[in-house]
Amino acid sequence: MTTMSSVVEMVVNARPVRAEVQPRTTLLDFLRDELGLTGTHAGCEQGACGACNVLLDGRVVRACLVLTVAASGSEVTTVEHLGTPDLLHPVQEALWRHHGLQCGYCTPGIVMTAVDLLSRISAPSDAQVREALSGNLCRCTGYAGMVAAIVEAGRTRDEQAGVE
Amino acid sequence: MTALDEDRLAGAVGPRLGTRSGPRHLTGRGRYLGDHPVPDLCHVAIARSSTAHARIISIDTDEAAALPGVVAVVTGSDLEAMGARRFDHLLGPPFRPLTWPVLAIDRVRFVGEPFAAVVATSRAVAEDALEAITAEMEELPPVVGVDAALAPGAPLLYPEWGTNVFLSTENATPGLDQAMAGAPRRLTERFESHRVCGLPIEGHGAQATWDPGAGRLTVLASSQQPHQLRSVIAEICGLDETHVRVISPDIGGGFGNKQHFTREECLIGLLARLTNRPVRWSQDRTEALTASVHARAQIHDVEAGYDTNGRVLALKVRVLSDLGNPVLYFSGAGPAFVTVANLTGGYTIDHIGWSLTCVATTTCPIGAYRGFGQPEAHFTTERVMDLIASDLGLDPTEVRRINLLPDSPRPWRGHGGQRIDVGPLGSQLDLLLERFDYESWRREQAAARDEGRYIGVGVSTLVQGTTPTQNDTAGRFGSLEMAAVTVLPDGRVDVRVGTKSQGQSHDTTFAQVAAGALGIPPELVEVRDGDTDALAYGQGTWGSRSAVMGGGAIIKAAAAVRAKLARVASGLGHVLPSEGSVDLDVYHRVAEVAWWHAHLLPAGVEPGLTASAVYTPGFTGPSPAGGANHDETYGSHATAVAVEVDPATGTVRMLSAVLVSDCGVVINPTIVEGQHQGGFAQGLGIAFLEECKYNDDGQPLSATLLDYTIPTALDVATVQVVHRPTPSQTAGGFRGVGEASIIAAPAVLVSAVEDALRPLGVKLNSTRLHAASIRAAVRATGWKPDAAFWALRLRVPGEL
Repeated sequence: MTTMSSVVEMVVNARPVRAEVQPRTTLLDFLRDELGLTGTHAGCEQGACGACNVLLDGRVVRACLVLTVAASGSEVTTVEHLGTPDLLHPVQEALWRHHGLQCGYCTPGIVMTAVDLLSRISAPSDAQVREALSGNLCRCTGYAGMVAAIVEAGRTRDEQAGVE
Repeated sequence: MTALDEDRLAGAVGPRLGTRSGPRHLTGRGRYLGDHPVPDLCHVAIARSSTAHARIISIDTDEAAALPGVVAVVTGSDLEAMGARRFDHLLGPPFRPLTWPVLAIDRVRFVGEPFAAVVATSRAVAEDALEAITAEMEELPPVVGVDAALAPGAPLLYPEWGTNVFLSTENATPGLDQAMAGAPRRLTERFESHRVCGLPIEGHGAQATWDPGAGRLTVLASSQQPHQLRSVIAEICGLDETHVRVISPDIGGGFGNKQHFTREECLIGLLARLTNRPVRWSQDRTEALTASVHARAQIHDVEAGYDTNGRVLALKVRVLSDLGNPVLYFSGAGPAFVTVANLTGGYTIDHIGWSLTCVATTTCPIGAYRGFGQPEAHFTTERVMDLIASDLGLDPTEVRRINLLPDSPRPWRGHGGQRIDVGPLGSQLDLLLERFDYESWRREQAAARDEGRYIGVGVSTLVQGTTPTQNDTAGRFGSLEMAAVTVLPDGRVDVRVGTKSQGQSHDTTFAQVAAGALGIPPELVEVRDGDTDALAYGQGTWGSRSAVMGGGAIIKAAAAVRAKLARVASGLGHVLPSEGSVDLDVYHRVAEVAWWHAHLLPAGVEPGLTASAVYTPGFTGPSPAGGANHDETYGSHATAVAVEVDPATGTVRMLSAVLVSDCGVVINPTIVEGQHQGGFAQGLGIAFLEECKYNDDGQPLSATLLDYTIPTALDVATVQVVHRPTPSQTAGGFRGVGEASIIAAPAVLVSAVEDALRPLGVKLNSTRLHAASIRAAVRATGWKPDAAFWALRLRVPGEL
């Protein structure tokens, strides 16, 4: 057990953050407890469920498996930065329309995974979406709505890009 | 479908409104247990037994208490010294007497049983302090599994019982033995429903604050039943119910796992009072998997007598139920009683007999998981139907058809007194076979067999008891529901209800129900649940009860408000109809007048527009023949699946799944379909992936999500849902629905996989369809994979 603190600096949701943290503090606990970003959820704290997924320098990671000190100097994006209840991100909007969530606990992690997927593959197939989502556990929905939603979000964005 | 059916459907299926809570959750603005900022919050970590069975000699907490940041360390004795009372399961004979302390004092009886707790300024420090607690334990022999518990000379969990049997009881219709003896054909089998865990993605948890001035305890708990939890916390903490407030915030899934009233929730209340600090415990994933609530774990020894047409004449089932350590209200005995009450399902079996033996073992307590005893019953009845079909060379759908309840009378009285009020079952099966295209799957199967591929078809015809009402001692766990409906001066409607949504979108569906009852758009309605200070009483969400009970209470209260609306309107010279939509201008005028202009009210009409109601449908209780009906209404669901099985690897690919749903009036089809898809995924998880395993020492072997794997998006096929509603006689015409597909899934999947492997003569008698289980069953027939084929496949990956 150690209580020696280190100073970390990072950009979280486009805002610079500087804080003292213990070396053992995970990024998950840091985001939730120190920054109050409770949209990132603790599901298993073992890297299995994906409820704590965030973007670290643009790529999706498990916040429970990243030590805060290791994220120093990085850019972190959480679900709070993607849309608001009144102005949803297109992925969030599609998930809502397709009933891609029930209890909502795994949902922020699903949103982050989908955003990461769509940043790499413009219009993923059903199979590609399922593959990307296979690191996110949802106990409520049985995935059908969320897969349909993410496929549609990708296709819609692709079509809109084509128009422009 | 006839025109009449179409008309009925149109009136019985509501609009597909998007969920109210969706945007909040999608943007990370939900507020679950761990998301409430509290100044000076302390965290609780719980010391748990690492051995399955031991006598506690001593617990030394001094070193832990001395660590910087530790506020308190307590044992079970410390809590009793401050006035903590013991839990008592409240049930008289034939149950054995059983009380248990908040933290184990003399003995631990499963790995994970709590015996001490730390309060500290951070969760990390609290967990550090656990390491500094020294417990001296004298190990006792473990008892793992039903056979070990019943073995002569077995070690005893509760020596005062003189046995490990917690409960033993039986029942039979007169003439059962003669009917069995006289049956032209008989089968005898053992079926097993294996041990699993409901496992919501948000673990359980509780947070409490103590107000010393008011002497009042406020507990936030991730609980499905906040009002009933209030009763338990008040009892255990020695408070009266007016001095306990329980709030269930957003809940990240429940599934029955958060239905019980746990030691930990009471512990957190006691610790807040003891330390006079706000405290929180968030269950971690290993606690969830080893020390929350497991489920199923039943073995059925089955004897069935039938005629050569496939009609079941007699059914006899010996149910062996593993309770784990039964330190849980209603424990695994609750679901086991539901199992024996549902062994005839939707079939007209003339004679039924059962015995129930519930045993204590040194494993995690067994209790609720979505389905609550019905999946175990359904698995057995559906296996029996399939085996009869196989024996007689009949189509399994025909065996079901000949045994299904006839279309009249309704309600049909079951042997146990069940008042089964479902719609016609034969035509429901017809519709299923049509939509699933049963004949074409049979042709597909035959063609595949010619190519050496293994396609199988499974069918389940489920009649499910929903909305349970308990009598006597168990009445406190469910017999009614309460709601309050208020039309505010601005015309907005405040609805409060005693059920508690955990992802079922009650904020949406109950807004639809209230809006329908008042004749206004649902946008005007706001639904609140989960706070004992917001509504005096309620009984929570479980047992496929919320639409019937909560919806019924809302309809009843809204009807009173609507009557008042009409009286006030009439005094103002307007007419508000008693049914259908109302004129919104008049409605808004009435709302203002009722609250703000009492002098304009007609003579004898009091101001205000509010009503609360307590509702129970009233269909349970003793039957004319002396039985007891425990379900207010019944749902019927017919399911068919097609699968392809690889006998070499034991893997199963879902090809098609169709479910014909009758949950009475459908409030919101999108949400019903979501319940079916999600429940099916859970049932599929049970069959293909999940099992809570123990070794012979009673050590859990599935303590992380890497050992206890639940379905991912790669594992779950989409279920096509066909709505075929038959309104019930409850207020609103609803029937319960949330548990239907998880009850059907293991039965229908085992049926399909066995059907696929029929050419090999494979027999499947447990709910395990894990790849290893299928491989073992295939190998048991002597079949071996073609070595040359596999050598080629392994050498050239991706080219086959």
